[in-house]
Amino acid sequence: MTRSKIAVAAGLVAFGLAACSSPAQNPTTSPTANESTEPLTLTFQSWVPNIDRAVDLFNEAHPNIHVNLETITAGPDGGYAKMFSAVQAGNAADVAQVGYDWLPDFVRNGAAEDITAGFQSSASLFQQWGVDAMTFGGAVYGVPQASSPLGLYYRSDIFEGLGIETPQTWDEFYQAAKAVHASDPNRYIAAFAYNQTPWLLGLSEQAGAVWFEPENDAWKVSVNDPETKKMAEFWQKLIDEDLVKIEADMSNEWYADIQNGNVLSWICGSWGDAIIRGNAPATSGKWAVSYLPQWTAGAKDTGTWAGGSANVVLKGTKHLKEAIEFAIWLNSNPESVSTLVSIGAGWPALADTTQIPSLQDDPTVFAFYGGQNIWDVFAESDKNVASRWKWPPLVSSLYTSVTDNVKASINNKTPLTQAFDAAQAAMVAAMRDAGISVVE
Amino acid sequence: MTAAATAITADDVLHGPTDARRRSNKRIGVALLFVLPFTLMFLAFYVAPIIYAIVDSTFAMKSSGLGFGPQQHVFVFLDNYMAALSSPDFQAGLGRLFLFCLIEVPLMVVTAGVLALLLDTGKTLWPRGFRVIYFMPYGVPGVIATLLWGFLYIPSTSPVLQGLSRAGIDLQPLDSGNVLFAIANISLWLYAGYNMIVLTAALNSIPTEIYEAARIDRAGEWAMVWRIKLPLIRPSIVLVTLFTIIGTLQLFVEPLVLSPLTTAINSTFTPNMAAYNAAFAKNNSSVAAAMAVIVAVIAFAMSIGFLKIVNRKGSEAW
Repeated sequence: MTRSKIAVAAGLVAFGLAACSSPAQNPTTSPTANESTEPLTLTFQSWVPNIDRAVDLFNEAHPNIHVNLETITAGPDGGYAKMFSAVQAGNAADVAQVGYDWLPDFVRNGAAEDITAGFQSSASLFQQWGVDAMTFGGAVYGVPQASSPLGLYYRSDIFEGLGIETPQTWDEFYQAAKAVHASDPNRYIAAFAYNQTPWLLGLSEQAGAVWFEPENDAWKVSVNDPETKKMAEFWQKLIDEDLVKIEADMSNEWYADIQNGNVLSWICGSWGDAIIRGNAPATSGKWAVSYLPQWTAGAKDTGTWAGGSANVVLKGTKHLKEAIEFAIWLNSNPESVSTLVSIGAGWPALADTTQIPSLQDDPTVFAFYGGQNIWDVFAESDKNVASRWKWPPLVSSLYTSVTDNVKASINNKTPLTQAFDAAQAAMVAAMRDAGISVVE
Repeated sequence: MTAAATAITADDVLHGPTDARRRSNKRIGVALLFVLPFTLMFLAFYVAPIIYAIVDSTFAMKSSGLGFGPQQHVFVFLDNYMAALSSPDFQAGLGRLFLFCLIEVPLMVVTAGVLALLLDTGKTLWPRGFRVIYFMPYGVPGVIATLLWGFLYIPSTSPVLQGLSRAGIDLQPLDSGNVLFAIANISLWLYAGYNMIVLTAALNSIPTEIYEAARIDRAGEWAMVWRIKLPLIRPSIVLVTLFTIIGTLQLFVEPLVLSPLTTAINSTFTPNMAAYNAAFAKNNSSVAAAMAVIVAVIAFAMSIGFLKIVNRKGSEAW
């Protein structure tokens, strides 16, 4: 509500584009006469807090390349829009942070460089499903950095106090939810995060859903498949019986509830540790992490939080070779990866994580969980991620339609399963509008 | 004027008409030089973006197959407008906006007017101090104000709601039935003081002789408000109303910031949010441009309509 002139609304979009296209800084230094002595400069755009520590390590180890870190808004909040506009304007950064979920849109918009040639020799360093997520039509478009295999964070002290065993199946989770809420009307086993499509998506993936599958030259879209509906009905039951608190995760309300023990668990990736530890320091020693509850007792099904995060070489870089070298080093050098783990970037997307010091022992982290080596849970979860999950283009349309429809069903008290039917219809329409072939 | 005209005539006599023309050309040149910086900036940052948005709104990017091949930039003429206007979400957003206008505009104008008149009676304590206090929220950026109110609107972080709950009143400001009022409250808090200052300035410019004359005629405080103050600050009230209508139609920051806190606000809650979502989440600037143009046209039409109504003959006495 600015009280400026009428057409500001019309200017909004165009201004956004104009603002994005004005280069914040020259992304690459032009070759100069004393090139041999001057280090070559690369620009790296990321929003991961404290990632400068890993970038510094690279710069120390590479006197000939200097990487400038440009901290930008998180991708879905405008960072990606900035990158797309910069690529269009021909002044993009060299390397950028891109989620697995968004990479298809970068390929679709021609914003990511094909790095197959430079990456192939290092491909075996990385976990297979991560590399698969980077590959489109046989070409590789990114270096996987971190993945988000899910685990269950929970308040072990309160669970123990109530005599609740760690839930191994969803049915046990439901029984635990009843016991928790019965002990205190303000206390809930979990929040139902209506705002968080990646969370719902991870739960669906764990239930065995595959929302998008390439079939010949078309996408088979099944956002409302039976597995997803099974998941939706389960949470519907918890909502109907007032056993989960309906609130956005990572909101002020949710942080308060995590701190004061009104919300006792969270299903999240390994980076969730940094969030809980940072926001509820007073609960140190009272948490534990377990493998996700299962639909079938004894199974080891798991899901991810929006796949993971990668580093992409943006189209138009003048230093393709060095940019690839940087992206590979940052995400495979043990010291650098160790740093990435401790700053909360996520689970390393490496084939072999035994060489990463901070994963073997991290006293400050483990102390928060009463001495438990929580990384063991994520290591196992990571191994069990099903690589048949594929990300389609237009993922933001998927996210907004799932979030909007789930919000609407909570608000209007209509079944959650209908929200996924509506999201399916909206996603199919959005893909067809963009000219993408869809089979339902 | 007369002096200048005479001077030119004198020049004509001395140097002949051609010289005068040269001189007047020079004056136009000087005038242009003064106007130039504004014109250039206006064209570059106002007219050009609008034209760009209008042009952009008639194109679309089309993929094929799985969507990983190169895209085509195709001219679709009014398709984006039709898509926006026929979308139930966008229609709902427009409806919500009009409803919000109905709530917010009268509330704002009346609040600002009452505050200004109260401070103008001359009987209030520390009128200057209160003027500053009412104006202060205007200095708080909209995002910050909404975050602050967001804390107050959520039961687990709001001392006010916790107190009310203890007293037996269970208020949920962010429920779908209340959320427009919750947003109206934030806007009111932010901008009522600003509008009050505009009206206060108008009240201060009323000559004191008129009040003296009214008192001689035994007019009371109420009579002075109705017969003197309000009619004389009418142009300022019209201005404040117009600003509020335009500002209201651009409703964006408050619902965007509150959106993660409630199920009652979706990504297309207002047309501007829908445009933002299309541009920055869906990377579809063409649809966003079409939506923005629609909002601009509506704002333009409503402003002109409002001015027509208040300026038509015979409406001078309200």
